Formats: sequence, C-alpha cells, structure tokens
Amino acid sequence: MSKFVAWIDQRLPVSKFVRNHLSEYYAPKNFNFFYFFGSLALFVFILQIITGIFLTINYKPDAASAFASVEYIMRDVEWGWLIRYMHSTGASFFFIIIYLHMLRALMYGSYKKPRELLWLFGMFIFVLLMAEAFMGYLLPWGQMSYWGAQVIISLFGAIPFIGESLALWIRGDYVISDATLNRFFAFHVIALPLLLFAVIYLHIAALHTVGSNNPDGVEIKANKNPDGTPVDGIPFHPYYTVKDIFGLAVFLTIFMFVVFFMPEFGGYFLEKDNFVPADPLKTPEHIVPVWYFTPFYAILRAIPDKLGGVIAMGLAIFVLFLMPWIDRCKVKSIRYRSSTYKILLASFVISFIGLGYIGMQAPTPILTALGRTFTLIYFAFFVVLYFTSKNEKTKPVPERVTMHE
Amino acid sequence: MNKAYVFFLLCFILPSPVFGASSSVELKPVFIDLGNKASLQRGAQIFFNNCSGCHTLQYHRYSKLVNDLNISEEMVRSNLILTTQKSGEPTKLGSTITNSINHDSIKEAFGVVPPDLTLTARSRGPEWIYTFLTSFYEDDSRPMGVNNILYPNVNMPHVLWYKEGLKAYNENNQLFLKVDGQLSQKEYEQEITDLVNFLTYVSEPAQLERYTIGFWVMIFLVFFAFITYLLKIEYWRDIK
Repeated sequence: MSKFVAWIDQRLPVSKFVRNHLSEYYAPKNFNFFYFFGSLALFVFILQIITGIFLTINYKPDAASAFASVEYIMRDVEWGWLIRYMHSTGASFFFIIIYLHMLRALMYGSYKKPRELLWLFGMFIFVLLMAEAFMGYLLPWGQMSYWGAQVIISLFGAIPFIGESLALWIRGDYVISDATLNRFFAFHVIALPLLLFAVIYLHIAALHTVGSNNPDGVEIKANKNPDGTPVDGIPFHPYYTVKDIFGLAVFLTIFMFVVFFMPEFGGYFLEKDNFVPADPLKTPEHIVPVWYFTPFYAILRAIPDKLGGVIAMGLAIFVLFLMPWIDRCKVKSIRYRSSTYKILLASFVISFIGLGYIGMQAPTPILTALGRTFTLIYFAFFVVLYFTSKNEKTKPVPERVTMHE
Repeated sequence: MNKAYVFFLLCFILPSPVFGASSSVELKPVFIDLGNKASLQRGAQIFFNNCSGCHTLQYHRYSKLVNDLNISEEMVRSNLILTTQKSGEPTKLGSTITNSINHDSIKEAFGVVPPDLTLTARSRGPEWIYTFLTSFYEDDSRPMGVNNILYPNVNMPHVLWYKEGLKAYNENNQLFLKVDGQLSQKEYEQEITDLVNFLTYVSEPAQLERYTIGFWVMIFLVFFAFITYLLKIEYWRDIK
C-alpha cells in the first residue's frame, strides 16, 4: 500500500494535498453550531449535481413534453419520485443553509480582513445560486414556473432604453416559451453548475489560505506552538471530519424527513399551482416566487415605482458585497461588540424574515406599509452600521479562543 | 391582433374570478386513507364508470392499478379499460389512461374541454374535489340545469345526480333534497370519499410507499446520527 502511495506521490502530490487541506490543516477548536453549514452547503451542492444528473436522464426540455416528463419521473421511473423530491427539497435546503452560513459571517465578522475575498466569492456563489434556482424552477413547466419566470424576466423590461430588448434577449421570444425553456435548461444543467463549481473552488481555496474565523473572532495563527502549529487549532481531519459527519447525519435526518413525509412543505417547496401545466392564456390568481426569493421580492414590491423597485432589489443584494468595507469595526465577533451592533443585526434579521413573509402574501395596505418599514430597516442596517462601526465601544477581545461546553 | 392575444391581454385586466375557480366557500374535510385498498378500488370503479368518459388520467397507467390497488390484470382489462386503440384492438395494459373524446365536439357541447384529473388532488386538494362534488344544486338558468356552490357557473353537469339526487334552494334560501337519488346522503358522501381517495392516490402514487420507506430511513438516520455522535465524542475527548 505504502509503495503504491509513494508511486502516486511521485507523479501527483496526493499525500501532500491531504496533509495541506485535511490532516495538517488547522482549524480553530471552538467552532459552534453555525460552523456546520459550510460543509453542509458543499454536501447539498454535490447532492443537487448527482440527483440532477439522474433527473436529466428522463427529463425533456421541451414545452410540449416537459411537464409530462416530470410526471413520468414521478410515476414510471424507478425511484424517480425520490430523486425528484431530493432535488426539489435540496433546492430549498440549500438556501436555508446558505442563509444561516451568511448569518454566521455577519455574527462573527467572518468577512473582515483578511477574509474580504472569501466573502466576495461567497456572495458570487449566492448570486449564482439564485440564478441557478430561478432557472431550475422553470423546468417543471407548471403554472408557477411559467408565470413566476414571466414576472421576474419582465422586471428587466423596467431598465431604461435597453430593458425591453434585454428581456427579449433573455427569453429568446416575446413571452416565456419553448425557446426560453431550452436555454434555461442549458444554463441550469451545465453553464451555472460549472461556474458554481469554479467559484466554490475559489471560495475554499481562499478559506484555506487565510484559515477559518471562529466565534471569538480571534486569529489562531497569532499564537503558535514551537512546532509552528496554532495553539488553538486542531487538524481538520479527524476532528472536524467526524464532527461534520455528525452534523451531516443530523441534517440528513431532518432533510429526509421532509423528503419522505412533507415534500411539498405545505406549498412552500412545491407550490400547488405548479401541478397545473403551464398555460400562457391563464394567469394564476396569485403569482408568488418560491420562499427563498420572497425577501427580495417584498423589497421590489415595497417601492411604488417599477424601476425603483428593481433598483432597490438589486441594491439589496449588491450592498451585501460591500460588507467588509461597510463594517469598519476592528473587533470581529458579536460576542465582544457593542449593543448597537447587536440591536442592528437583530433588526436586520427580523426585517429579512418579515420581508420573506410579506413577499409570500397578497398585498394589503397593512402589509405594504409593513413591507416598506422592513425595507427601510434592511437598508438602514448598512447605513447606520457604516457610521457607528468606526468608533464602536467594544469589549476586550481575549488572547485565546474560549470553549463553551 | 389574433383572438388568443386579445384573450391574453384580458387576463391581465379582468379580475381572476372570471376563470371561475376562486370562491370563498369553506371546504369540507375529507378523510384520506390510502391504506384502505377497498376504498381505492371502489373509487376506481366510480371513476371509470362515471368520470372517464370525459376526464382523463393522462399521466397514469392502467398497469399501475394492478399492483397499487391489488386488482387482477383480467379485472383491469375487462372492467376498467373501456377504450380501444385506433386499430380497434383493446387499449394495452401499459397505456396511459386517456379517452376517445373529440376535443372540438365536446367543447361545442360543454363549452370547455374537461380537464385532466391526474393531478387535481395536488393542485386543488382532496377537500376541494370533495366539496365540489357535494355542492351541486338545481339552477334552471344554467344550460345543464345545475350549478355549483364551490365553482359557480361551472360547465360540468351533475353526472352523479342519479346517485345523490338533486338538491335545490327553497324560498328561504335553504338547500333541500328535491329529487331522491339511489343513495342516501351519507352513502353518497362515502362514495365521493372513495372517489377522492382514488384521485389522491392517482395524483401521487409514490405516497403508497413513501411513508413506509420513510419510516425505516428515519430509524436508520437517527441511529446513524447517534453513532456519529459517539464517534465525535470519542475523538474530541482530548480537546480541552
């Protein structure tokens, strides 16, 4: 065996790679609950690729047969229903994981120097993932697939001068049609996954260059043993591999429970109207995007002007890219930051969840007013943070990480 | 501008009740029990005897009924397959459940093409179908002589009236049974429950196995999570 490994290592540095990224890659020993979501996101990405491959074997990207081919998968393909439910549930869980992963970064300042690039790559993954999910949602070719896409793509039409031609260019037709379905299929199954793969690679490469942050926001590389390893670091393998496998097992228990017992998740993961084939002549009563887009959709609707709404929605995502430069506080972790930051982050999270709820409802005067308030709070978070973070009253940060057992 | 385009525009202008699907009628609860094979078989019988002339189950296959409903191939061939292929041969067991209505002529007769019912229990829900089928009443102003509380001005006639009888509103605006049917109200409700049960099965046949498999998968995963927890504890013993 060792001869074989040596033979390989002379030709490809596999052992070196394993050492650098697993057995001698040091991670802080004080990771908490929020640190499961990175590896879980990677797992779900791979799960989506694998289930997706099996789905494409029987799916037909053709407006005349797409809907029927999905039902064929659900009924006539052996285990097709399981593969499809894993893929559809996986899409929703991907966003749950990513949102918690991002919240973690906001809580512990994981975007701060030297991790600005890491955050930017993460944000690119988030945007790509939204595009991936949006295009994937058209493929079942149900009513909500069709009309959801119709509404979202028509938003591009609000852009002055080039808007209409841009929307036409994206659709490849004047309305969502077979041409749109074909190109969305191409983007969903090859173009975007390839891009995602590349940016995820960069995200992890950047992470392994600077090392993980941790709940105390202490740089473990600042305190080293005589042999050069961080005092508060432990090798990723075996410590975090066994811990992450445990996290994965708990995740799978919850995930498979949804897959087997509530794959529609009360109409949030699979919308009722999507069990009706797309009909360009019948608009559903109530067009709602899937839950993971609704916070941004609510921001869009909060602005009375269409172009203004589109700009606000775009800005809501873009401003997140700037977090490393908006938050000017030197202290990373929320544990040692001022109550101002705690209140700001709490109101940001509440407004995000509130917007998500409002985005799912039919507009009423009260909800619209509430939606505008939450939109204001959403943007106020960044503005207020920019001005308060520079001279924030922080608590002393410990020299070493702390363990809470 | 062609007609379809005008209609397309109208869709945006007119409020949705134009499509007749929306109303604020409270849905009646219905007890769905996919483990009750007898109920599913009765539901299939009611469907093929009364509904399949106009409504298809175009994504489902006759052959699935054999295993899923515990009925013999012979029974399916002789009692459920009521159509033929173009050649005149009986429809094959592996075929999807369609019918031979001509879309143009049925549209002329009823004003609409009767919808496919494979997924209705998923798109509208079992309660909706149950409420719909128990909400017909006499209305002379309608071409079919009946109307529906849940789906006002629906084009479908009350096909099952010979079973249920015919309800009508009296001068106090209360429903009463004007014409008796073959069944009592309770028996009729039971038959509709069986039919809805069958349509719920058809909307997602995987439901028959998904809960059972899910149960074992859950047991495995909880056990697996427990083992990995012990493993984690063991490895982390020396981390202070």
